[in-house]
Amino acid sequence: MDSTELLRKLSECVEMGKVNKDAPFPPAMKGMDGADELTKQALEMGIKPIEILNDALISAMEKVGEKFSQKKIFVPQMLISAKAMNASMEHLKPFFQSGEVKRKGKFIIGTVAGDLHDIGKNLVAMIVEGAGWEVIDLGVDVKTPKFLQAIADHPDAIVGLSALLTTTMQSMKNTVSEIHAQYPNIKLIVGGAPVTDAFSKEIGANAYAHDPQGAVSYLNAQVA
Amino acid sequence: MLKGELHIEAQQLHVDVENILKGMGMRISDADSYLTELIDNSIKTGLQLIQTKACFAIFENPQFDLTKKTITIENKIFKTGAVVCSMLKRSEAIALFIATIGPQIENLSKKEMAAGNGLEGLVFDIIGSELAENLSELVHLHITQLANKKGLNVSNRFSPGYCNWPVSDQHNLFDLLNEMDCSVNLSPSSLMTPVKSVSGIIGIGKNLRRVAYKCNICNDKHCIMRRQNS
Repeated sequence: MDSTELLRKLSECVEMGKVNKDAPFPPAMKGMDGADELTKQALEMGIKPIEILNDALISAMEKVGEKFSQKKIFVPQMLISAKAMNASMEHLKPFFQSGEVKRKGKFIIGTVAGDLHDIGKNLVAMIVEGAGWEVIDLGVDVKTPKFLQAIADHPDAIVGLSALLTTTMQSMKNTVSEIHAQYPNIKLIVGGAPVTDAFSKEIGANAYAHDPQGAVSYLNAQVA
Repeated sequence: MLKGELHIEAQQLHVDVENILKGMGMRISDADSYLTELIDNSIKTGLQLIQTKACFAIFENPQFDLTKKTITIENKIFKTGAVVCSMLKRSEAIALFIATIGPQIENLSKKEMAAGNGLEGLVFDIIGSELAENLSELVHLHITQLANKKGLNVSNRFSPGYCNWPVSDQHNLFDLLNEMDCSVNLSPSSLMTPVKSVSGIIGIGKNLRRVAYKCNICNDKHCIMRRQNS
């Protein structure tokens, strides 16, 4: 198998969500090598990590994102693809740490103060990471000073705020306002079940993400 | 005041694959066998793990102020807003309840998420929400039976945080049930732990009835129920 074919197969594994050889999903690829094994083989073959990242992984996740936007696949398939992507990324971690491969940028994410819901926030974090971004996850019930500290530590980051309760949307509004008062140029994306595009405009956020792919599209547009 | 704790076995709760798929924005026809089997197995695991607890108390002679949009129970003023106040105004008594399925499913969901298993984590999270809602429905049915024995009916149930009822009223609700061991804690910002818990209010009276939940009773444009129903 040549390098082009190997990268094509790796891309297919991520797109279809084939994590490793033992993974039962997708049934049509049962017993075949997955993202884990193929990434290892690609590195052993001498393919550059940056080629693996761009030509196989990110391109696969872009296809996944497109299919999700077109409602051809749903959240579960997207999560399985993200898991396959992460299995591959484990092999690339040393190259990120050495600086040989650079991520697209940094994304700080957290659920706003007074809100303990983390599932939606976690889904966004996984998909954004799978799209080639470094994710700094601040957790849940994040008060504004914690966001401000994270921005001070990572001034070039884009920030995502999540809320699940209509009652914590006020917290989101306050945090957006306080962050922009101190860092007017920081880009803020908001999302969560009760949040709407109209609300995001009302509170002065830079963007509203309806779903994880929405966040990825916005982030990618900032570095395009 | 009548009060009680309900001992509801996990086997009495019902959640099916279709409900969970709906929670992920899918229909049964959208799912392959891998996903339906994963959900089915996760439901079985969840039902084995959960430890339900539910408590309620019924208070006579609630007072309604339709101008101030409040309900007063035992000197506690609930600022329920217009919708809840109006829907319950014919109540002769009010039942307050807290119900939880415990922290087990929530912990399992977090564990899966932390291990990078987003799908498994999401499935457990949705199962937990469905079971908690299912448990509160059984509490509702129990209150209904108690009311029916006295020739009375019940209203829909409402929770702080919905229909513009501030979530901060959770503190009043918990204060009125404080003698009971409901195994649910309330944070200063009015959030319940375990997260898979439901608290609420149900009206009891001759001239009440449960109706299908309709978004036209409420004007909260951001409510997630409105989005799900639209």
